[in-house]
Amino acid sequence: MVTVNGNRTVEWRTGLTVADILRELGWDYALITTTVDGHFVERDDYESTQVADGADVRAIHIAHGG
Amino acid sequence: MSDKITITIDGKELAVKAGTKLLAAVREAGARIPTLCQHKDLTPGGKCRLCTCEVTANGKTRMATACNLVVSEPLTVLTESADVVKHRKLLAEMYLGRWPEVRAVKAIARRMGVESSRFTGAPKDDAQNACILCGRCVTACHEFVLERVLQFAGRGSGRHITMPFGDVDPHCIGCTSCAHVCPTGAIEVVDEMNRPLNPTMIRNSGMKVNAEMATLDAEQCRMREVGTANIVDVMNAYDLLPVMNYKFGSHPDAHKVDSKVLKAKYFTQGQADGCWPGCSMACAKAVDGFELKTGPYKGEMVTVDGPEYETAGGCTNMGCFDPDFVVEFNFYCDTYGVDTISVATAAAFAMEAFEAGQITTEHTGGLELNFGAGDVVLELLHQMARGEGFGVELGQGVLRMKQKWIREYGADAEFLQDIGMEAKGLEYSEYVSKESLAQQCGYTMAIKGPQHDEAWLIFMDMVNNQIPTFEDKAQALYYYPLFRTWFGLMGLCKLCWNDVVPAKNHTEDEPAKVPAHVRGYWKFFEGMTGIEIDEPKMLEQSERVYQLQRVMSYMLGKGTRKFDMPPYRAVGPVTVEEYESRAERYDKQLLELTEVNPAGMSSADKVAALREFRMSQYERAMEVVYEARGWTSDGVPTIERLRRLGIDRPEIVSIIEGAQES
Repeated sequence: MVTVNGNRTVEWRTGLTVADILRELGWDYALITTTVDGHFVERDDYESTQVADGADVRAIHIAHGG
Repeated sequence: MSDKITITIDGKELAVKAGTKLLAAVREAGARIPTLCQHKDLTPGGKCRLCTCEVTANGKTRMATACNLVVSEPLTVLTESADVVKHRKLLAEMYLGRWPEVRAVKAIARRMGVESSRFTGAPKDDAQNACILCGRCVTACHEFVLERVLQFAGRGSGRHITMPFGDVDPHCIGCTSCAHVCPTGAIEVVDEMNRPLNPTMIRNSGMKVNAEMATLDAEQCRMREVGTANIVDVMNAYDLLPVMNYKFGSHPDAHKVDSKVLKAKYFTQGQADGCWPGCSMACAKAVDGFELKTGPYKGEMVTVDGPEYETAGGCTNMGCFDPDFVVEFNFYCDTYGVDTISVATAAAFAMEAFEAGQITTEHTGGLELNFGAGDVVLELLHQMARGEGFGVELGQGVLRMKQKWIREYGADAEFLQDIGMEAKGLEYSEYVSKESLAQQCGYTMAIKGPQHDEAWLIFMDMVNNQIPTFEDKAQALYYYPLFRTWFGLMGLCKLCWNDVVPAKNHTEDEPAKVPAHVRGYWKFFEGMTGIEIDEPKMLEQSERVYQLQRVMSYMLGKGTRKFDMPPYRAVGPVTVEEYESRAERYDKQLLELTEVNPAGMSSADKVAALREFRMSQYERAMEVVYEARGWTSDGVPTIERLRRLGIDRPEIVSIIEGAQES
């Protein structure tokens, strides 16, 4: 199990990537900053960055508009 | 899956993302090659040719400029081959011959070991700040502020930089982007506008925003491309787009009015207009040649200013997903001088009341006011403008409609209060706040009514979970309204605060505040006034005004607790239909956050249980926010707080002293 933003969970599976997690949550937003266990992940690396079981993922959306 | 390409630079292998410019890869590999025309924030043009390298791909070798070569296949690159060095030396000699005193040229010549030039004839320019025709200014004019005031003219040795016909172009707004990127100082800035104390400080901050717009906007919010309409897509994806009087947060037809459709079929203008000519964000959009289908201008071709997000969101809130309707609604609201948000939210309320049988065709003058009835909305707009029929009622807004229908038609007062999306007499703007307690407070406790200009906290609260406790929310509801009030005080646009964010924003302690931009705003203030400012000083400036606004609200009969209470639709599902549409979410909350087990309960009972929980949360949050803002339990500023801010003048204190708690 992977925790996202402290209050959501995503079932872990072998090869699970940052991109998989964001897709599963339906989070397709331009201003997301993502860390895995405190380490920043570049947007270009979402597809290739695998996440370990039990990881703490933060996907912070910077508000815009209004 | 990887889109990395392996390239070899001077024998060193590295993997770079497809699309990377070769110059960036060369620098990443640690090689240093000279450039004159290249600038980190501008699209490279390969003009000076100094960055030329020897590039081999698929067995073929060629000379290519690194700055604008896009890596799309494996390459072998030599940055200092004999041919490359020979080429650069020749260029350095030519530059030195023409511009012998320019510091940047002399540095290149020195680096290439060139001490003198054989090219000594005309056209030679001995000035230290001579224009070297690098073209950075031309590119900056277009990419930073979307103008084309500067251009190259002439051929061969007569080539030069000029404004059209050699005259001062009235389109030049003096942004100084050209001077900012000029490597020689050929463009001189003459500060004669507004007499700021430190114009350089202001310019340096402004140029950072210009550069971000030029380099980051296309991948971030696309403000230049589609303006605020980009938010339609985002809100629908996050279940935050108001649909049918805020009952729902998304709809399968939302794609029909999203930014992709508006861009593909409607927007014909995309430039700065009414705000500030030359604005580098240029988010205003317009539709040209639109043929109206209704009203006094029926059949005429018009230009429409918009649509912005709020207008499109207002239309989905009325259940209208026809983009032609969105544009025509936009046009007539503008033409009649009424706000698209208030009209849309009021019409959405009337539609729900009509569908619920609270009003009938007897009250609407025979109009079938169902969700999605765009033709009826337009007819009501025209009635409103003519002062006729049900349009007059609609034009008076949600509060007056509620009052009249309860008083004269015997409508269900509790139901209308629940679904009538207004507070303090103002209609809510177009976001669904149900899943964010902080936003419910941000909307409803806003001094002038539920607009989102004080605080938009939905992502911080609902998605990011960054402000989980009541105290966290209260701090956010203290900081953001004051920060945003400060924009108003200074006359500064809010959009360049967070509608583009620095590439390194994630490295800041509080990225949600976009700290680099806040510091940039402070530089604008300091550059203009000479007064240094920081967060406490900024908040104090704002709070003086904010508290005074609340006192005035109280004086006008609205600045108390009961006016900070939301219609329940802003907090949670009013109807069984709404609850059942997101039953999994609501059942989970009941199970995890309350002592109620939803298993076996009727939907109506679950609606009631969730309502009790959510309203208790709202009231608790309100108490904590009042405390943070220095207000009494009834929401009135304390005299002590006014004293601390130095605004406890007798005429102000006299307004609120009767409302103080002992």
